[in-house]
Amino acid sequence: MAKAQPFDIDREETLSSTSFSAMRRLLAYARPHWSSFLIVVGLVIVYNLTQVVQPWLVKIVIDQDLLAHHPRLHAIAVVGVFYLLVTFVGLVSNFIQNRRLQLTGQTIIRQIRQDLFAHIESLSMRFFDTHETGRLITNVTSDTNRISLFFTNFLLSVIRDGFSIMLVMAAMLLLDWKLALISFIVIPVIALISVLFRNKLRYSYGYTRSQLSRLIGYTAENLGGMRITQLFHQETKQMDQYSKLNQAYTVGNVNEFRWSVLFNRTFDALGNFSVALMAWVGGLAVLHHAIQLGVLYAFTSYIRQFFTPINSLTQQWNTLQSSMISAERIGGVLLTRPEVVEPPAPSTTDASLGRGRVAFEHVSFGYQPGQPILKDIHFQVEPRSFVGFVGQTGAGKSTLMALLTRFYDVQSGAVTIDGVDIRQVGSRDLHRIMAIVQQEVNLFSGTVADNIRLFRADISDRAVEEAAEIAGAAEFIRVMPGGYRSWLTAKGSNLSLGQRQLLAFARALTLNPRILILDEATASLDSHTEMILQQGLTRIAEGRTTLVIAHRLSTIRQADTIYVMDQGRVVEQGTHQHLIELGGYYAELVHRSGPTADVSGAADFPLD
Amino acid sequence: MVPKDIIGSFMWRRKWIYLLSIAAIGVAEAVQVQIPRVLGNFINQFKLGITAAGVTHYALLLMAIAAVYVVTFGLGQFIMGHLGRTMEFELRERLFAHWETLSSRYFQQHSVGDLLNHALTDVPAVREAMSGGFNQITQAIFLFVATLYMTISSINPDLTLVSLVPILLIPGIIVIVGPKVRIRSRLVQEALSNMAELAEESFQAIRLIKATSNEAVEIDRFKTLVDEIVARQMRLVQLNTLFQAILPLLSGVSFAIGLVYGGDLVIHHQISLGSFVAFTVYLSMLVTPLMQFGFVINTFQNSSASLIRIGTLLSVQPDIADPETPVEKDWLGGVTVRDLTFRYPGSKVSALDAVSVSVPHGSTLGVVGRTGSGKTTLLNLILRDYDPPAATILIDGVDVRDMRLADLRELVAYVPQDGFLFSTTIGSNIAFSQPTVVPEQVEHAARQSRIMDTIRAMPEGIHTPVGERGIMLSGGQRQRTAIARALIKSQAKILILDDSLSAVDTRTETEILGVLQGVRGQKTTIIAAHRLSALRLADWIIVLDKGRIVEQGTHAELMRNNALYARLYRIQSGGEPAHG
Repeated sequence: MAKAQPFDIDREETLSSTSFSAMRRLLAYARPHWSSFLIVVGLVIVYNLTQVVQPWLVKIVIDQDLLAHHPRLHAIAVVGVFYLLVTFVGLVSNFIQNRRLQLTGQTIIRQIRQDLFAHIESLSMRFFDTHETGRLITNVTSDTNRISLFFTNFLLSVIRDGFSIMLVMAAMLLLDWKLALISFIVIPVIALISVLFRNKLRYSYGYTRSQLSRLIGYTAENLGGMRITQLFHQETKQMDQYSKLNQAYTVGNVNEFRWSVLFNRTFDALGNFSVALMAWVGGLAVLHHAIQLGVLYAFTSYIRQFFTPINSLTQQWNTLQSSMISAERIGGVLLTRPEVVEPPAPSTTDASLGRGRVAFEHVSFGYQPGQPILKDIHFQVEPRSFVGFVGQTGAGKSTLMALLTRFYDVQSGAVTIDGVDIRQVGSRDLHRIMAIVQQEVNLFSGTVADNIRLFRADISDRAVEEAAEIAGAAEFIRVMPGGYRSWLTAKGSNLSLGQRQLLAFARALTLNPRILILDEATASLDSHTEMILQQGLTRIAEGRTTLVIAHRLSTIRQADTIYVMDQGRVVEQGTHQHLIELGGYYAELVHRSGPTADVSGAADFPLD
Repeated sequence: MVPKDIIGSFMWRRKWIYLLSIAAIGVAEAVQVQIPRVLGNFINQFKLGITAAGVTHYALLLMAIAAVYVVTFGLGQFIMGHLGRTMEFELRERLFAHWETLSSRYFQQHSVGDLLNHALTDVPAVREAMSGGFNQITQAIFLFVATLYMTISSINPDLTLVSLVPILLIPGIIVIVGPKVRIRSRLVQEALSNMAELAEESFQAIRLIKATSNEAVEIDRFKTLVDEIVARQMRLVQLNTLFQAILPLLSGVSFAIGLVYGGDLVIHHQISLGSFVAFTVYLSMLVTPLMQFGFVINTFQNSSASLIRIGTLLSVQPDIADPETPVEKDWLGGVTVRDLTFRYPGSKVSALDAVSVSVPHGSTLGVVGRTGSGKTTLLNLILRDYDPPAATILIDGVDVRDMRLADLRELVAYVPQDGFLFSTTIGSNIAFSQPTVVPEQVEHAARQSRIMDTIRAMPEGIHTPVGERGIMLSGGQRQRTAIARALIKSQAKILILDDSLSAVDTRTETEILGVLQGVRGQKTTIIAAHRLSALRLADWIIVLDKGRIVEQGTHAELMRNNALYARLYRIQSGGEPAHG
């Protein structure tokens, strides 16, 4: 975040988050590149000048050489060479300008992307709870892209097209100011027609896009669910639905095309009409010897040169709008502050957190104000012990673990490790001593080894292999075609659920944690796979404080202590044997999860 | 039908419309090339002496030409574009209808993304060639020929040929450079999607990343990809800018030659000043069709690859089809599996090995086994998702392969493992197979599968959309909706549940089993599960391991047997130590 001065939040607290100020702040990213922009502007002017010079040269040929009483071929040749030279200079400056601008735009956007990504990664869990992943990805990818269009398209167009129009106007005024003023009538007409069509085109384009995305969405879903359609014998119905969407898209698409043909041909017509107008007005002027014939030629060329820049300028309004909206979105994310903050002066180092005694001291917590999830939780887990947490969904088990890892800060009470409040510990130090294995194993696109070491350069191949060995993952990794170099993808369809879990165990092991948290890690597995995993689990839990949230009670039967949770409280605690004898909530849970719970009794439930 | 034939017959059926649009474009170009000639004559008139009325005459003539050109060309362009889009519509219809005939095997071998690509890129690529490309080539040919004719016949053949040399290179350059630009821009797209992918996996794994303080590593990985985007983007820009410089340079050279050589001809009175001016305009008119030749060749190359892909797709034959002479009768729904051995295509091991079991109509079979033991395969073969070997799966004594597919699928109600739902409302998902039912019937089925309370709590009740694949619902709610979808199919005599209760809690499972108990005797029920509690209703249980039946019997018998089933039972009831 070193280069993120534009978003240094401490210094720019008072900024409102309207899109204009958001845009202004993003413009600050362009500040270091001002010299590049200056060069670009210079080159644009050179290019535009060369474009304006060309008709003028032909005019010179006509008036001074061809219509002269003693035509001179030599002079024409000079003009021809000069013409080539001008063309060449124009193209070279355009070439350099293009590259320079693209490189500058890309460099700016690279910085914005990196800062944005780093910022998102630094935000607290609550941010991710309230923001969809899809939205955040859009922020990083397409929103930044739209902002880059601001630099490469909008700014360029305003400079290039603006200068182009001005230079053409200047050339016309220089040639003959009266005729020039008459010609300028076409400028507002072009602009007006362009703007009117632009709205229509944008609307029909948007409509077609939305129809297309409905059609694509429907197709994707039906390809995925084709089996269901076939098994329920609903092919005709689904096809009818598809045809309707296909029809709607085609109608929209034809309509969009109709408008674009109308627009382009109207522009065509307008261009030809202005030439005709020029021929008429200019022709009469030549007749009255007010201008030379070459001037008339130049004017008919110049008047066509208005069309492209004006049209392109009117398009830029859309670019500006969409990049401002994107700037506002990104600004909103960049202005969010991490909720969980690092202690100003971390009071402990890794070494003093060495033993791994975990304590919850009268902890209360809720995600929403007024809706407590945990109420006055108070317990202590001894170093190197193995404890389990059970309870219904929503009892607060996972929340407990989220507090221990400091994804959230407690609202009252404290979570301590070896007597030190975790809020006083730097997050790196805190996370170095713990590892968490979740039910859903996240995989990254990369090799098996990199997935185990989480791409950390400081964990050697050897350490990875050792961890895999202990966790019991080595067996399946060895038979994979590339071994530890096999490529995995985030969707991870090439690994079974059990294999993913073993990989997650190995991952946790490479971190060599003092505290190991297993959050429903084995819930989605069949009993047999679970049994294999249990053996791995036993090995990796050895010598560590292990906290297990269990879906299946069998996982934690042997725990030193089982905490039974209900509605945010610990209602029972003790060993399996103790709790069974107690005959309370835990005993009921055990009874209910058995395969032979009474069904005939259930038939007595009223059907509604 | 091969797509080439599809396109051929499409065009043949509309040959008059195609001819009309070609004629319109031909007229348009023939008219357009008159503009420089009129301008030239106009200029010549100044030397010869022209009146104010003459000036007005020429101005009006130019206007009239422009009007005719714009109208005829716009007409031709629109008709062709319309035809292309109609063809696109028909191609899409064909694709979807074809997909509906293909079996599960096909959809397992092809990812949805790949198939969608056909609809997203290949179909529009064909349309682009058929409307834009066709239109451009027609226009380019007419314009090129007409312009050449005008310059050679009315101005000067030598001047034309000499000036033309540089711009004749244009189509060649486009054909060479165009595909390279496409490759580089695809590389940029790939780099962008790599970055999006990393952002996605990183944000999804944010808990893991935070719990391990791994943010810095992720940021580094992200930086590498962002740098790659810049590098690839710049490589594309290099080529593009070169491209954008060379084309105008060539036309500039042509123009310079025309200027000097044309000027020389004027001085030596071989052409008039008007012809000279007209020629400069013609030269600029020639650049467009020459560029179009290049672009159209690229478009056609592109779309012929797409056309081949679509052709391959449409030529896939459905591997599961109706028998020639289907057996027709009143089906009761008894299922017999007789010595069934099945191997997936391309696999070396049998998924099922000599499986035999009989499920008399109205009884309940439980199938248990670990993941990969063949439970789902067995159910899929009964559904004829894949074709079983002849006479291995019989319904009421008839080989499923001798039944009409429609009959089989009317007979069976099925609840899939993943509880797949469509993104429509929860009500239309339940009524999926019975679009004509009344809301009361939907609600009844919803009550039976214990999803009605959830529906009542939804903002729009049964009219609430469930999102893509039912994303708005939890796993258990999806499964219960899928059960309602099967239960509402009241005419079905066979009910198949493939581990369909795995995500519902034990209490709800008990309640749903209670409902299933109510239809006992009327429906043949087959329940596969790895949670044994879901098999409480089974009259008969088979235990599968590596595709073989290793045990079978009633629950009591299997418990007495004290083998795999009894062991699983003990693990699941917490009777056998799992840890330590």
